[in-house]
Amino acid sequence: MSRINDVGGVEGFPGVVEEADEPAFHADWEAHVFALNGALLKRRVYTLDEFRDAVERMPPEAYLAASYYERWFAAITTLLVEKGVASAADLVPADD
Amino acid sequence: MTERFSPGDRVRTSNRDPAHHTRLPRYARGAVGEVVQVAGHHPLADDRARGRQSPPQAVYHVRFAATDLFGEGDHAVTVELWDGYLEPVPDVEEEQGS
Repeated sequence: MSRINDVGGVEGFPGVVEEADEPAFHADWEAHVFALNGALLKRRVYTLDEFRDAVERMPPEAYLAASYYERWFAAITTLLVEKGVASAADLVPADD
Repeated sequence: MTERFSPGDRVRTSNRDPAHHTRLPRYARGAVGEVVQVAGHHPLADDRARGRQSPPQAVYHVRFAATDLFGEGDHAVTVELWDGYLEPVPDVEEEQGS
């Protein structure tokens, strides 16, 4: 069955608004997520298609509520556990 | 590498509804379009997304009339589609059984 990402042509989603002079990243953590994904792909921890699949496997309500790089972060953590690189316990947020 | 389809060929997309990752969007399922160009050869994303080895296959740019996909619109929509998503469409005369 189609997953929550596959909404092309579906009514009810707002149009894409282009931000003037949009920066590549809106926060430092986004740049870290971007770099982390590139490093993991380059080291062949997973493929780009496995990464896309992991984004699409997010629970629909979480997918819809997440920003672009929040989806990336969710997919990376999913794959790190599935590939045995990290345990779920390793990925508990650090205390500030 | 040779390709099954050439620019100008009419093709029909698969109507299957896989549970896994696919690059054939729902809106373009079971639709008839026209091959615009060959866009290289690549492993099938559906397989690689599941950790499977996949030999390269032809990928095409396929153009659809928006009205064939959405029931309205006078623009065209071009989608990048793997060979395995496509079937040939017989000539119109054959299709009408004349």
